[in-house]
Formats: sequence, structure tokens, C-alpha cells
Amino acid sequence: MQDGYRELFLSEAQEYLNNISNCLVKIEEDPSDLESLNEVFRCIHTLKGMSATMGYEKLAGLSHQMEDLLDELRSQKKKLTLEISDALFASVDILERLVEDIRLSRESKVDIAPCLEDLKRLLTADQPAEGVMPKEKKPERAALPELEEQALEFSDPDIKKIKEAKSRGLNSFKIRVTLVRDCVMKEARAFLVISNLKRRGEIIKAVPQVEDIKEGRFELAFTLVLVSKESREIIANDLLNISDIEKAIVEVVDVAGKTAAAAPQGAPSYIKKIQSMRIPVERLDKIMNLMGELTIAKIRLLQIMQSFKLEPLEEVGFTIDHLTSALQDEIIQTRLLPVAYILDAFPRVVRDLSKKQNKEVDLEMTGSEIELDRVALDEIGDLLVHLVRNAIDHGIESPEERKAKGKNLHGKLAIKVSRQKGQIFIEVSDDGKGVDFSAVRKKALEKGLISGEEAAALDEKRVLDLISLPGFSTARVVSDISGRGVGLDVVKSKIESLGGRLDFETKPEVGSRFILTLPLTLAIIKAMLVRVEGEILAVPLMNIRETIKINEVELKFLQSFEVIRVRDEVIPVIRLNRELDIPVFVSSEQYSDDRLSVVIIEYGKKALGLVVSQVLGEQDIVVKPLGSFVKRTKGIAGATILGDGRVALILDTMSLR
Amino acid sequence: MARVMIVDDALFMRQMLIKILVGEGHEICAEASNAKEAVEKYKQFKPDFVTMDIVMPMMEELDGIGAVREIIKIDPKAKVLIVSAMGQQSLVVEAIRAGAKDFVSKPVQSTRLIEVIKNILSS
Repeated sequence: MQDGYRELFLSEAQEYLNNISNCLVKIEEDPSDLESLNEVFRCIHTLKGMSATMGYEKLAGLSHQMEDLLDELRSQKKKLTLEISDALFASVDILERLVEDIRLSRESKVDIAPCLEDLKRLLTADQPAEGVMPKEKKPERAALPELEEQALEFSDPDIKKIKEAKSRGLNSFKIRVTLVRDCVMKEARAFLVISNLKRRGEIIKAVPQVEDIKEGRFELAFTLVLVSKESREIIANDLLNISDIEKAIVEVVDVAGKTAAAAPQGAPSYIKKIQSMRIPVERLDKIMNLMGELTIAKIRLLQIMQSFKLEPLEEVGFTIDHLTSALQDEIIQTRLLPVAYILDAFPRVVRDLSKKQNKEVDLEMTGSEIELDRVALDEIGDLLVHLVRNAIDHGIESPEERKAKGKNLHGKLAIKVSRQKGQIFIEVSDDGKGVDFSAVRKKALEKGLISGEEAAALDEKRVLDLISLPGFSTARVVSDISGRGVGLDVVKSKIESLGGRLDFETKPEVGSRFILTLPLTLAIIKAMLVRVEGEILAVPLMNIRETIKINEVELKFLQSFEVIRVRDEVIPVIRLNRELDIPVFVSSEQYSDDRLSVVIIEYGKKALGLVVSQVLGEQDIVVKPLGSFVKRTKGIAGATILGDGRVALILDTMSLR
Repeated sequence: MARVMIVDDALFMRQMLIKILVGEGHEICAEASNAKEAVEKYKQFKPDFVTMDIVMPMMEELDGIGAVREIIKIDPKAKVLIVSAMGQQSLVVEAIRAGAKDFVSKPVQSTRLIEVIKNILSS
């Protein structure tokens, strides 16, 4: 076994396994989904080959057996039964465990024999001969997905349609549409293209199929055959007037079913151009770190420039400034991955969890194309699983209960990802029974967590605080799924440690919604620099509502807390120098302005004012995590180095409240 | 250069769009902050094209999509451009079905918006 290939093998194998799981879920939902079936077959086949090459016999053996069974399904010799799909899922689990053992370089104790037996038995078992596929579906659709780009083949009925159209004086066009690479809302864009074309004629063929195109199941390009009375120019012009289309090739199809203006047929190219490559994550982290250092050096340079006022120096300086910013953007881009990376696992998660609970749950996911920093992605996967578990276990009712309530028997679970102003929102919502406020109230009173007065004024924010307390569960029965293990408290503190936020909304009998808010990237953030006595602190801009100046007399005491009134809101105020024990610093410069600067930060729906000595201004800062010996210092989340080489501490607004 | 109506419930968005469009030499003939107002002003001003925020509060049972439908009913040739946040694909699809010509996503990039409008006006 060649060690150099091990990493590559592991990462690819994982991708294939994810893909297989997803396609199996799809097939189970719709057994006529030949495309997914082919995809599973292709993945298993490749996995088998890879494993055999690397000498992983168990992996190769099991995938071989799966391949045989899948081939029977694919060729419609066998029908997909629940038993078969369970066996396939079980096999995938074993494959995953085998891969995990390889990853951890340990001798695998997984016994594949029972699973092999199962598969073999199912393979030889007799089944009624009739296929599951709708009759009109041609086996030719079984072409592998990579063939999408190849010229589409015309079947006899297609050719007949084209001939018939010609006899009626209509033209047939083969249209290949390529969307721009950064196209947003691919589905909607494709839908727009299709509905525009439909206005001009009839679409008689599409690769991938029209439904798949409308659902966005294509890379960047798709091919359609349109029968229309319009000329080629009109059709081409139509397409050119749609935005986000990179390229649209419209060719006339002649009766023989070949495109008349056939592209010159060069020798088939065997070697594909390299479009993407794998880079170890550590290397990306190193680059990011260097980028951070570069940014700091740049800021220094700019400061020196200002004090010298040398024209040639300024020119170079501004160019460097511009280039580093562009470079920084690019590097941040390389660290981003589509959320699909983790969302892809969820159809399977939901299937398994809902089966265990005997519940019917439909999963709806949107925004999986949105990209997020890899570090954050790594961290939030498990948190999302927890929220999903929570929804299935506590939120969505059993089919009987739903029926009694007049709800759809299938519960709805939605994961929505969206992006606004450099922040990512991930929403997990269900249409279940919602959080029972009275149960929470009762439990909290019982445990002495709140007073009777507080109980009366329970709002969503407070309920979230309560239900996310360690060990607080209102579930009557602790199930295998939730009510133990990671609690909401873990979700909440993890999100907050990532610089994000967890919000919660619920309505009895309508459902609950958890909203995670995360910054786009965790390594470079925008911050407001403030001076507190002799120290400079950075406050993440994301947490700041506003900065104001007040006169000392505007600070009032409410019980023993200092508060200020800003417009109609009374906001508690803390003095950062006292809170963080920063010693008084007598500056050589005296500020004539004796008003107090207050930075108002925001968490959830509440606000907190921080009294600082001076507000210095906004700046991009590079977050340097603190060493373990100073970790968990109250109020401090990390450090950064400023342009002049000074260290500024980054304020952890979450721990101040 | 065209006469434009801008429909968005957020004043900020309207002003941003106005800035971009006026910069391109278009004339803003009307602004509307809800679907009902949009339909009424469409009748009154007959703009050359409309930018329509797809998510707006319901106004007398009319939302953004409803407004697109009404406007197309008034003038089947109306040129309506949807402005939508990312991830609202189903709404956008619905609006296209109702007759919208194209869409751009928020945050609106001025270069893209200008290009889309050029496309719409030349179609």
C-alpha cells in the first residue's frame, strides 16, 4: 500500500460514501430515479476499484457484492424492496466504518460476512419479473452522468418528432446553455430559461431531464431540443437577453437527427484538463496565517507612508494596499465550501431518525450552495444534527397525533441557509407542536430556576435560555435520540464561541425555529478599536449596535446597576476598565472632551453599553487565538496585532453580560 | 433611457436602486412601498420597467407575486424585474411563472443590475 495515496483515497472514499447515501435516500423515495441508481452504481464501482488498488480487501469485497446487487436493480432485473434498500444502507454503514478504521490506521474488527450473506441472498432470491421502471423510460437514460456533456442521442421517437415538425414547417434546435460560474439561484435561472423557451415552442428532449434542470441538478450547463416556428436568431437573441448566461449555443437539427452545423470532430481527448485540485487544509491555514501577517505589515507600511509623504513610496504603498486586499478576498474564498458539504448528509440523518421514532418527516433544504468558512462548517455539522434530532424527537408529532390535530401526516423539517451582509443564517424549523411554555414554566419553577414573577413574563428568549440549560429537558420520555448527550447548551455555547448567535422562535402547534447566525469567515473580522485606559481593545463590529457619547450625568443608577436611556430604551452599562481590571492610565495628552464614549453591543434582543476611554475607529483585524494558558479569560476572545506592532485584545462580548 | 418604477418596502433598498438607476441615466417615475401601491402606480404611470421586491408585507391580500400577476394582467408586455434575497428560489420561480422577466439577487451588485436591465430593455 502506498502511503502517499492514502490521504487521497480517504478523502475521495468519503465523498463517494456521502454520495451513495444520498442517492440511496433518493432512490428509496422514488424507485424510478434511474439517475441516482446509476450514480450509486458508479460510486460503488469506483470505490471497489480504488479499494482493490490500495489492498483494502474488506472494502473491495463488500462493494463488489453491492455492485452486483445494484447492477440487477439498474438493469431492472430486480425490483427495489424495502429489504434491499435496508441491506444497502446497512452495507454503506459498514463501508463507512471500514473507511474510518483505515483513517485511524487501526486493524478493522468489522465483520462483513453477515452483510455479504444478506446481499448474496437478496441477489439470488426470486422476484416477480416485472420491472419498477415506467415503461417509456429508455435504458439509454442509464448513461453515466459525465456523459451529460456529450452530444445527446436521438431515439426513434425523437427523430420522428423532429421529422414531423419539419413537415409542418417548424425548426428543431439543439440548444446548449451554460450559466456563469457564480450564478446564484441556479434553479430559478434554469426555470427562467425553460419558461422563456417554452413560449417559443415545445421542448422535446433535455439532458439532464427538464425536471432535473428545473431542480438545479446540473453542473453549469444543460442541453435542450426545442421545436419552434421561430428562426435560430430569434431563439438565440431570447437567450442572450437573459442574465447570468455565460454561453448559449443554438444549432439547427436536421432530419437525420444530427446537428447540421456539427462542431468539427477532433480526435477525442482522453486527458481532461485539470479544473480543480486538492490542497491539504493545513496548507490553507498556513496561507491564511501568512496573509494575516501580511495584512499587519501592510497596515504598518501605510502608517509609515503617512508620516513620510514620499510620492513614489505612496504609489507603491497604495498598490500593495490594493493587492493585499484582493489577495485576502481570494484567500478567504479558498477557505469557503458550500454548506452542501454538510447538508448532504441530512437526508440520511432525517431518514434514520424519523424511522427510529416511527414518524414521517419530509426534509426541505434550501441555500445549500451558500459558502461558509471551512472551520465553521467543521464545527456546525454536529450542532445541526442536534437541532434536527431535537425537532424530530420533541417537535414533530407521531402520524396519529398529527392526524388527530388535522395536520399533514408528514411532518415538515426545513433547513434554510441564507447570507446577508457578511453573515450566514442557518435556520432549522419544524411544523411540530412547538415548545410547550407551560411545561417549561412548570419545570423551571420546580427546579427553582425562576421566580413566580419571572414565570409569568416568560418570553422566547428566556425560554431558550432555560431549555438550553444543561440537564433541562421537558421531554417526558428520554429517548435514544434526544434528551441526552449534547444538549442545547452545547449548541449555544459552541455557536457563541464561533462568534455567532443562536436564536429561537416557537409557536404552540405551529412549530419551532432555531436560527444560527455566523460570520462568513472566522479568521479576519471587522472590528471597532477602542481605547480603555492604556489598553486597546477590538470589539467585533458584528456585535455593535452603535457608539454614542454621553455626559457623565446621563448615567443613572437602577438598583445597583448603572444604566443609560437611549431613545426609549434603558440599557445597562458597564465600565470596561473596572470589568476587566485595567489600571488607570494617565496619558500625556489630555482630552478636552470630558464626555463618555459608550459602545452599545447587542446580543439577541438585548443591549449592553460599554464605557470606554476613546473610540478609535474601524479596522479589519486578524484573529489570533490565545494560547491555552490564557484561554477562558473573562471578556477576552483572542488577540490581534495592530499595524504599529501593538497587541490588542479582542473583546468577547458574549461573556460580558 | 427608460422610465422606471421601484417597488420595495425598504426605503434603503429603494434609495440604493435609485442611485444606481439614475446613475445610468434612467428616470424614476414612481416608487411604491407595497404591492397594492405598486399596482395602482403602474396603472397611473405606465413605467417602461419595474423593479419588484419579492418579499413584501401583505397588503389587501396582495404580495409581491400578486403584484406581478396584476401588473401583467394590466399590461401583458410589462417588464418586471424581481429583486430577491438569495435562497428564495421558489418565490422567484413563482414570480417568473406570473410573468416576471428576470431576477437579481440581494445584495444587488450595480454592474449586474445594469446589465440585466439592459437585457430586459432590449428584449
